Amino acid sequence: MPTAEALVELVEAVACRRDKQAFAILYRSYAPRLKTWLMRRGLGEGPAEDLVQETMVAVWRKASYYRPERAGVTTWIFRIARNHSIDYLRRASNAPSSNESQEEPIETMATGEAFVMGVEREHLMRLALEKLSPEQSRTIRLSFFEDKPHREIAEELGLPLGTVKSRIRMALTRLRLLLQDEQ
Amino acid sequence: MTISHHPGDETLHKFAVGLLTPGLRIVVAVHLEGCVRCRHWIGDLEILGGMLLAEMPPTPMAPDALARILARLDEKDHPVGLARQRSLEGLALPKALEACAISPWRWFGPGMHWSRVRLPWAPDANVVLFRIGASRRMPVHRHTGLELTQVLTGSFSDQFGEFKAGDLEEADGQIEHQPVVDSVRTCICLAAVEGRIHPRGRIATLVQRVIGL
Repeated sequence: MPTAEALVELVEAVACRRDKQAFAILYRSYAPRLKTWLMRRGLGEGPAEDLVQETMVAVWRKASYYRPERAGVTTWIFRIARNHSIDYLRRASNAPSSNESQEEPIETMATGEAFVMGVEREHLMRLALEKLSPEQSRTIRLSFFEDKPHREIAEELGLPLGTVKSRIRMALTRLRLLLQDEQ
Repeated sequence: MTISHHPGDETLHKFAVGLLTPGLRIVVAVHLEGCVRCRHWIGDLEILGGMLLAEMPPTPMAPDALARILARLDEKDHPVGLARQRSLEGLALPKALEACAISPWRWFGPGMHWSRVRLPWAPDANVVLFRIGASRRMPVHRHTGLELTQVLTGSFSDQFGEFKAGDLEEADGQIEHQPVVDSVRTCICLAAVEGRIHPRGRIATLVQRVIGL
């Protein structure tokens, strides 16, 4: 993975010069990881590839909207992929209305704040994450990347459903408090 | 604007991860426009999402995948014509609703109007605007899934407190409530439900039949 600064330069090269080599580096950095993420969310290999393709095309098209002072490149790509996956899963679940399908406008949903430089905030997040117990950190990872019903997470951890829900809640609350302390 | 009621932690988490259905999602998006606290938290969760994405072990893409993507890059991006409706009879609409198709106000009872909000990317989502006159009572109802109500102007109260402009009320399937608008001014709010609403009483049933939630 290139450094955070190098990633910003790559997106700017795509935005300003329509640089396909820079784009190819972004593709190699993100596409295989996006694929893993989507497959963990329960997508088959084919749909996961399709969705990665959609996401990377969107990265090309939206590159000029990227603002480095608002978010790191990875956060920005996560947002694009998430928004595309919402649309994709929706189309998959009710095929008949798919003709008039429109993409949710990402700009209205972009919530990144310029309150701290994206990169700096990432550093604070890393510090906070390290302070979680191994179990809390595992719970948070499961809650983010496995789009399984919490029921399945419960089975995997051998815990009752209510316990899983409250553990996710507690882990997130702890993270939030740790972040406040870091500021 | 002091905001005292926010979406629950689970709802914000689902929003950040992309697991909230489109109707609920847009109500939260409207809340975020006015709420710095929730915006910061969502921003943090998105940073976390990005970090976890970067930690994923790579799965090889198909050998020709990059070539197929590169071939698509020179295609013209065909932006879909969005509705861009900015106001509804004098009410300035939140930015998040600009791409939605919003019907004119329709009467559904003395002092009570509603308007259907259609999301072009999710035509089956149940999202409505309500405009309820001062001191009016909403029909008592219960719902099978989550209901989110974001106050745009005015205020209402129920057994959980007073909800003012900028506040969001989150009510799950267990809750039966009857919001009452304050005595001074009209209340306009945006609401989305997951699942079906169970009205209680004749008027509520009529309302449900008219609005079709």
